[in-house]
Amino acid sequence: MNISLFYFVAFLSIFFSLLVIFSKNPVHSVLYLIVTFFTFTVHYILLNAQFLAIVNFIVYMGAIMVLFLFVLMLLNLNKESEPAKSPLLKIAGVVAGMCLLVTVAGSVKTLHTSNPIVLQSPTLGLVKNLGKVLFSDFLLPFEVSSILLLSAMVGAVLLAKREPNDA
Amino acid sequence: MNTLITITVLALVVLYLGLFKAKTLLLPVTIGGLLVALTNALLQWNQNNQPVFKGMMQYDNYAVAFSALAISSTILILLLSKNYFEKISEHVAEYYTIILFSLAGIVVMVSYHNLSMLFIGIEIMSVSLYILAGIKKNDFRSNEAALKYFLMGAFSTGFLLFGIALIYGSVFSFDLEVIKSYVSLNPTKISPLFYSGILLMLVGLLFKVGAAPFHFWTPDVYDGSPTIITAYMSTVVKTAGFAAFLRLFWFCFAPLQPFWMPVILIITIVTLFVGNITALYQQSFKRMLAYSSISHAGYMLFAIVALGGNSGYGIFIYALAYSAATIIAFATLMLLQNQTGSDSFDSFNGLAKRNPFLAFVLTISMLSLAGIPLTAGFIGKFVMFSNALSQYHIWLVVLAVVNAVIGIFYYLRVVVAMYFKPIDRSEVPVPAYFKIVLLVSLAVTIAVGVYPALVTNLI
Repeated sequence: MNISLFYFVAFLSIFFSLLVIFSKNPVHSVLYLIVTFFTFTVHYILLNAQFLAIVNFIVYMGAIMVLFLFVLMLLNLNKESEPAKSPLLKIAGVVAGMCLLVTVAGSVKTLHTSNPIVLQSPTLGLVKNLGKVLFSDFLLPFEVSSILLLSAMVGAVLLAKREPNDA
Repeated sequence: MNTLITITVLALVVLYLGLFKAKTLLLPVTIGGLLVALTNALLQWNQNNQPVFKGMMQYDNYAVAFSALAISSTILILLLSKNYFEKISEHVAEYYTIILFSLAGIVVMVSYHNLSMLFIGIEIMSVSLYILAGIKKNDFRSNEAALKYFLMGAFSTGFLLFGIALIYGSVFSFDLEVIKSYVSLNPTKISPLFYSGILLMLVGLLFKVGAAPFHFWTPDVYDGSPTIITAYMSTVVKTAGFAAFLRLFWFCFAPLQPFWMPVILIITIVTLFVGNITALYQQSFKRMLAYSSISHAGYMLFAIVALGGNSGYGIFIYALAYSAATIIAFATLMLLQNQTGSDSFDSFNGLAKRNPFLAFVLTISMLSLAGIPLTAGFIGKFVMFSNALSQYHIWLVVLAVVNAVIGIFYYLRVVVAMYFKPIDRSEVPVPAYFKIVLLVSLAVTIAVGVYPALVTNLI
């Protein structure tokens, strides 16, 4: 059951990521990317990584994709504004693509089926365990990262605030 | 640990002082707080501290030496900031706060005992610097510097993080001690992931210290940022980057030296040539210092190429000499920018006649950067070169000496302009704060140069 579900979701991930590349309209690309990220979320749940799944769902599918859409709207992509690529660039692209193909083919040749990974503890990715680790072993990094956030916050306000003499 | 807490609390206090409009208090409180932090750091000397907080931080002698160096350089640079930030904007307190935050990041960077702390330390420092580079909001070049630094920095952080992830993937731990025992216990069965991890971390760290071919951001960012921030970036930040770099490689990856040494060797040579040859063609003093900082990154990489018992001491003394000389150079540049408004070599013409003291101090600083004997810079280069020679990197040293000769040429251009191009000019006023900074840096440069035993084998 689990295995067939994995193959189904894996198929969907690859299918939608191909659609991301091949669709002509950039807005469609972004929408397909959202679906791709959703299939990743399903993968995380299958791997029992609840926290990662939720973060992926909220941050990637939610925040970052909205950001992408905004940028697309602001950029105003048209066929006319797209710069024509020089033949030299095209040749370089073909050469680079072929190199990648050879590398991928070479690494595929050495592929073999790995042993199925058995989770050492099935509760590994649960939010509860993550919280426990964060507040025991990784307490200091967790606290110190507050300096990072505070510094970024002060800086963002500082840069965004209007100067009185700007008018 | 106490140092980190002191600096962080100090940053918050300064932020609140800004809220209550206590502008005259800002600088004294900041300097006073940093002196307390410095004392706290020095009290940890030779205490044989063990890793604390489940192996997150180890405030050993190495960390004490480098955080003391970083804090003292910051104090000197902040003394130059009197009346400087006021000209840019009204939010002076925030500038001090962000500088202090980045210093807190630097303390984490030199004392980490866990890769997660390394990452957080580097991020705290970098995020603060992205902001500091762009504080001249109406200046196009400052905006460009901030954006460029941010984009490139974010990119390199990706490399660093990916490297850390791969190392975790093969060792199953972030702890330096565990990584060290993984490397030394089974040197034949190290996973390929681990090697890729080392290379990716190398890219990330080399970017942060501005070594070629990852140096492209350096000239623009150093040139565009406000001069005092450039002084901070090219002294304190560079020192911290190397301290973090060396700590990782010295502690963890030393047994794998045959694997990564050739990579760093080539990068060192490229860095030396790129930095020195491009510096020759600069017309702006500030840009020349930016390129010379790239070439000094090359000299400091010697300590990692010739990794051994003396590496920590080598980087320390080199960073000390380089920081002292660079602070003098930037202090002079700030004074001249006040007067002439430009930072080209021409603005130094005839300085010796009106300001003999200023010209003399700058000459000593240039000689120290060039590595002339009886200055600290010579001792720094000497330690680096003798380390490299002890490991039979003879060609590297030959190339480095060629580069040092090229360096003398462009450093002496300033001296020639000051002493041999007489142009009528008014005297540059030197405020008392500047005099203190210049005298302290001069004293350090000459004292270490004449009597290097002062700091020999500290670490």
